[in-house]
Amino acid sequence: MTLYALVLLPYAASLVCALLPNHARNAVAWIAGLTALAGCAMLGITAPAIFGGDILRVSVPWFAGVAFGFRMDGLAWTFGGIIYAIGALVVLYARYYLSPQDPPARFFAYLLAFMGAMLGIVLADNLILMVVFWELTSLTSFLLIGFWSHRADARQGARMALAVTGGGGLCLLGGVIVLGHLAGGYSLDVVLAAGAQVRADPLYPVALVLVLLGAFTKSAQFPFHFWLPHAMAAPTPVSAYLHSATMVKAGVFLLARLYPVLGDTNLWFVIVTSTGLITLTLGAAFAIFQQDLKGLLAYSTISHLGLVTLLFGLDSPLAVVAGIFHIINHAAFKASLFMSAGIIDHETGSRDMRQLNGLWHFMPITATLAMVASGAMAGVPLLNGFLSKEMFFAETLQLTEHPGFKLMVPVIATIATTLSVAYSVRFIHDVFFNGEPVGLTKTPHEAPRWLRIPVEILVVVCLAVGIAPAWTVAPVLAVAARGALGDRVPDYSLALWHGFNFPLLMSFIALTGGVALYVVLQKTVNLHTIDQLPMSGKRVFDRLVRGVEIGGRRFITWSPTRSLPAALTWIIVIAIVAMAWPLLRHGVGTPDLSVMPLGSEPTVIGLLVWLLAVGASIGATFCYRKRFLALLLIGVVGLAVSLGFVLMSAPDLALTQLLVEIATITLIMVVLHFLPPTSPIEPGTWRKWRDGFIAIVAGIGVMLIAQAVITRPSASIASYYLDRALPEGGGTNVVNVIIVDFRGLDTLGEITVLGVAGLLIFAVLWNFRIPAQGRDAAPTEPWNPLLVRTIARLLLPLAAMVAVFLYLRGHNLPGGGFVAGLTLAVVLVALRVAGGGHPILDPRQLAYQPWIAGGLLIAGLTGVGSFLFGFPYLTTSFAHPALPVIGEVPFASAMFFDLGVFMTVVGGTLLATMSPGLLPDGHVGGVDQ
Amino acid sequence: MTGWFVASALGVLTACGVWLCLRARTFDVVLGLTLMSYAVNVFLVAMGRVAFESPPIIRSGVPATLAHYADPLPQALALTAIVIGFAMTALVLTLALKARYVNGSDECDPTLRKAGADPTAPPR
Amino acid sequence: MNMHWIIVPVVLPLLMAPLLLLCERWRPRWQWSLSLLSTLILLLVAASLVRSADSDTIGVYLLGNWKAPFGIVLVLDRLAAMLLLLTAVIALASQVAATSLATRGPHFYAFFQVQLAGLNGAFLTGDLFNLFVFFEVLLIASFALLLHDANGRSLRAGFHYVVINLVGSALFLIAAALLYGVVGTLNFADLAIKLPLLPASDIGLAQAAALLLLVVFGIKAALLPLGFWLPATYSAAPGPVAALFAIMTKVGLYGIVRMSMLVFGAGSTALTGWGAEAIFALGMFTTLFGAVSALTAPRLTILIGSLVLVSSGTLLAASALGEQALAGALYYMVHSTLAIALMFLVVHAIGLQRGAVADGFEQGPAVTQPVVMGTLFIIAAGAVVGLPPMAGFIGKALMLSGTLNVPGAPWFWAAVLGSGLLSLYVLARAGSRMFWSTGGTTAAAPPLSMPSSAGIALLVVASILWMALAGPASQYAADTAMQLAHPAEYINAVMQTAPLPAPERAH
Repeated sequence: MTLYALVLLPYAASLVCALLPNHARNAVAWIAGLTALAGCAMLGITAPAIFGGDILRVSVPWFAGVAFGFRMDGLAWTFGGIIYAIGALVVLYARYYLSPQDPPARFFAYLLAFMGAMLGIVLADNLILMVVFWELTSLTSFLLIGFWSHRADARQGARMALAVTGGGGLCLLGGVIVLGHLAGGYSLDVVLAAGAQVRADPLYPVALVLVLLGAFTKSAQFPFHFWLPHAMAAPTPVSAYLHSATMVKAGVFLLARLYPVLGDTNLWFVIVTSTGLITLTLGAAFAIFQQDLKGLLAYSTISHLGLVTLLFGLDSPLAVVAGIFHIINHAAFKASLFMSAGIIDHETGSRDMRQLNGLWHFMPITATLAMVASGAMAGVPLLNGFLSKEMFFAETLQLTEHPGFKLMVPVIATIATTLSVAYSVRFIHDVFFNGEPVGLTKTPHEAPRWLRIPVEILVVVCLAVGIAPAWTVAPVLAVAARGALGDRVPDYSLALWHGFNFPLLMSFIALTGGVALYVVLQKTVNLHTIDQLPMSGKRVFDRLVRGVEIGGRRFITWSPTRSLPAALTWIIVIAIVAMAWPLLRHGVGTPDLSVMPLGSEPTVIGLLVWLLAVGASIGATFCYRKRFLALLLIGVVGLAVSLGFVLMSAPDLALTQLLVEIATITLIMVVLHFLPPTSPIEPGTWRKWRDGFIAIVAGIGVMLIAQAVITRPSASIASYYLDRALPEGGGTNVVNVIIVDFRGLDTLGEITVLGVAGLLIFAVLWNFRIPAQGRDAAPTEPWNPLLVRTIARLLLPLAAMVAVFLYLRGHNLPGGGFVAGLTLAVVLVALRVAGGGHPILDPRQLAYQPWIAGGLLIAGLTGVGSFLFGFPYLTTSFAHPALPVIGEVPFASAMFFDLGVFMTVVGGTLLATMSPGLLPDGHVGGVDQ
Repeated sequence: MTGWFVASALGVLTACGVWLCLRARTFDVVLGLTLMSYAVNVFLVAMGRVAFESPPIIRSGVPATLAHYADPLPQALALTAIVIGFAMTALVLTLALKARYVNGSDECDPTLRKAGADPTAPPR
Repeated sequence: MNMHWIIVPVVLPLLMAPLLLLCERWRPRWQWSLSLLSTLILLLVAASLVRSADSDTIGVYLLGNWKAPFGIVLVLDRLAAMLLLLTAVIALASQVAATSLATRGPHFYAFFQVQLAGLNGAFLTGDLFNLFVFFEVLLIASFALLLHDANGRSLRAGFHYVVINLVGSALFLIAAALLYGVVGTLNFADLAIKLPLLPASDIGLAQAAALLLLVVFGIKAALLPLGFWLPATYSAAPGPVAALFAIMTKVGLYGIVRMSMLVFGAGSTALTGWGAEAIFALGMFTTLFGAVSALTAPRLTILIGSLVLVSSGTLLAASALGEQALAGALYYMVHSTLAIALMFLVVHAIGLQRGAVADGFEQGPAVTQPVVMGTLFIIAAGAVVGLPPMAGFIGKALMLSGTLNVPGAPWFWAAVLGSGLLSLYVLARAGSRMFWSTGGTTAAAPPLSMPSSAGIALLVVASILWMALAGPASQYAADTAMQLAHPAEYINAVMQTAPLPAPERAH
């Protein structure tokens, strides 16, 4: 329970802060502070158990073997302590650091959210959950770095940090999944127990590399270190908390956590050790040449993280202890240094060491604190830094195998430490002495009391640990070490004095050398003159992003995201390939010549129809630029097709095709009226040839396939329909029975499409006006309105009668609601186009929506009717005794369905064709809205 | 032989349809779609094999099997397809019409558009 | 459970649409509540259908009481039920959010219901040609929602979308007809039975039809190079409509899964595993392309459209990597659909508050509600990227762990992790551009409207639930994948369901 509270309490507090108004400065600060203190208290409560050596666990199952649970051992407890304790100090510091303009509610909300995420990392009881919180720290750090969002460098720094650490998090996710696969589970207990089998697996390198990528990005190890200095754009409390004390420690924490599983192999040693060495040295070297106070501290942080990484790389339990010890110490002195830097910034308005000089006179207290802290950073005796440095040196000397590293490691370690002494000295000398301040905006003075308190506390810690380790840090370190190493904890002594030995010598060299180095550097190359480091990871990163972006642009502009012909070309080509590939592989099979079509073949008429269709379509293609002509030819093709249907014994199709043809052509004519009469010549002939090639290939393909199928014996299920149409469907026209009965749902969908199309066309043109002068030709005057009107008067009833006739016979002979509806519609359309202003033709007199609606309702409800008799949807209750009123009526209930079809078709077709036809007289809107 | 009649006609229709569909002007694309839908509908019917003088309308005395009637199912499907095709064509036409006035041109390939006035821009 | 429930998701909206048309004419005020009621009912029905589908019984509904394969059947298996529920949730959110949109052009509510009918029908039907019809229904409705008040940019995008889909429909018809010509049936189950029995000489034709179907569904699923239309189209659609469209690419995915695992997956033939390699490769390509085009997108909606490509590609690739990966993909699909819908709603709201700049990346006025919008954006972005603890993270974890030991895994891993990083970066950049680097001015815009916030809230809750219930949810996904991997169950259920006895039909 406490564990859940430990992790979730900060989130709750964060939520509260987020909801509070910004002027409640103290309120939010109190909430945050009390949360941190409460956390410390809870850790205190759990301390006895932890120090007693047992491990606390809570969990509820979540998904696929991953639990939502937490687990606290010594290591987790120690880190939790760091997070909460320093968190409390940072909150106090931030309360006085933030300026009135900064929204405190937002700040503390983010900070608390980060705190929770960080605790999640150290307390998670399984790797997946750990990654969850891992990514959350990246997100919150993004928000905190970008807190001063008006500053461009803040935005960039935030983005870069998120990209690097977030990307690392993704790698970590991958690594964790592999690891879980190898260990047979994600829970830490399982994984920690499965070390041997993990290391034996061929996939081990994959897991290791991915996990290390996660750790190194987070802990700013070379070559991923560059994001950290740019994260310094964040408010100083954030730098002190996230980017020195806690978040950047997540990576090395991960190393400590997984060392028992992944460590102890050659690969681990080589990768981790060398990364640590490089980072340690480079960080220290760069730190010397910074001018920005926080920049110096950032690079120093990188260097110290490198040191810890190196320790974990050395592959000895004692080194792990040293590593953990240094993590603790570094958290203490680096946080205090950042805070001092923040104070200086706060009181002088500058962080530039070329301006900050001789502050000793203005702020002696801060100066003293800072000096002690940087002494710890340099590893001066009697300070905590010294102790872990000593252990570190001792460990570098313990290398037995790896001859290559045996000498290199201690030497480089000494050099790097020398460098770190140098920058520490510079920090002290440059800022507090070395003459007078240069061009400061305000005269510096001592910081307010409360701003200093956190620093004082931390410095006291540094001293206490440094002077009396046994009474202060020893038990904590012991329990942490047990958490990390289990029973492999070696015996070690934290004594201040181990006698004259190599480590002491190395420290001595480092200290003296460092001081000397600084003096020399200041004498020879005046450090103040260096303003830009030769190589910066940021530039590399920017180049990378820009490169990808430029490449991407090319890629995208090449792609047909905006051109319709290009998109269609792709689709058609892919379709051709998709069909050609299997046909070429398996062939189309040999035509079975015994398969003869039913009936006698009408060669002559067939030939004529063929010529008509082929000729007209080729003609239309070749004179497509003369649009009117092309349209007429298309009409001819349609005619030929419907004739073809007659020949192919599909009378219903022929009728429908014919009527649809008329409607379509009329409609196109109406529209063509508003479009240019000719297509302009397209640029580029090669394009036409390419399209021609594609088209011909497509045509040949379709031809071959059709031929291949036609000359095969049919395996169709269709005889069933022929067989049942009359007895069970109640109609002799099998096609009609299929569409209204066997496959009624198709028809329902189809009329829906038609209806919606009509409605949509109406909607598209609704309130759309063609500017009168925008037309290419004036609207045609109806020829002799009177005549047409009379014709209309005569023709309309006739058309209606024909429609009714077709509708009624539909179930038994070619016809049906479909054809009937089209007939009526077509006649009306024709009259309308002829200019017969008969009232019934004008949507403004009679809107067609109700026709569509009514038709769809009737058709749909007919189907529902069958529910009453417990039959499925659309069951024809033809001659159904359960219909007492109607009884043995001669027609099936499908006729109702067909009535719906009829109405919808009339409404849809008319609405679709009339709406554009109305454009000449203004807009289509009409009485509807 | 019969097969070739139908098949070759299909091929030509398809080829012409495809080619017109790849033009850069809305109207030509519409024509292409129309041709293509003819082709598709005929293809549908053809997939039920070719039959002459034997429409699927039950005549008394004639056994109701595929040996005496054309396959009715593809015809029913084609019927549906024709109507849907009509609805869609009408829609595309309307869009072409409106697009021409709203976008000031009936081209559907902005990458083709050259500097200077588009010949299909509505006259001002 | 009453058998008629299976048909409700199709018939209810189909009847509701004309009813709403009549309302529009005579009782305009009723439309809103009526259509909302219908969508709510759909949600409840879908939920209960999921429950019944999870009980290992496959529901079969013989329309017109005709026996399969002669009549049309609706089939309710786990996959269908899952998608019905997802559709209902998205639909509800989108409809609520669209309240202000609905009055901009005529017939909006009717169109919306038809859209739902089309989607549900497509997921339920067990007949190839009927699937085509429902595709047309959902297409025409999507055209309608996209275009009913379109002009300018959206009009051109709309025209392209329509034409491309018409070509797609033509290809669909050719494929279906060819399949019928060779196999002589259209029912999924019947096809699955008869395809393995084909003579060798017919394999080529059948496979051609199969691959053509893959192309058709690839167009819907925005599988590149067939899906270049998607970003422009989605960015042209008004926010709530785009949110509904998030489900549209899933229709294509559904088609591919259905075909490859049922119709061409049953029995071991030359057809089983058709084009799996192609799907995988193209899926990878789609993911890559989407990520890159997200990086170069000029406006947020196009960026999101590109991320739709990313998720679509990832899903398709995963679906081709075997049962375990498919299970992960199904879980992830639900989340990513919710996330994308949510994102479109949020972006829409943000755009409304940025004046003329709308969702463009150029520097514009700050939003009027930085905190609210910023928070919503972070939530939505986190969901889209699959940042923990959002369910997308779980989905990715499931997909990755599901592909640990399949060939091609390295590519898939690289794609998932790489695209994840890229999406994270572009969204972070987009966010900092829209919320942080403002000109200091603030647009005078109304605060987040009640309907929008309701729709957004609904989706947020939904995706949080999907995350919190990851246990049962991923279990359901796993069962679904299993059911798909063993189509015999489906086939038997369809072929052995007998129509109700209707004695009076005898005479």
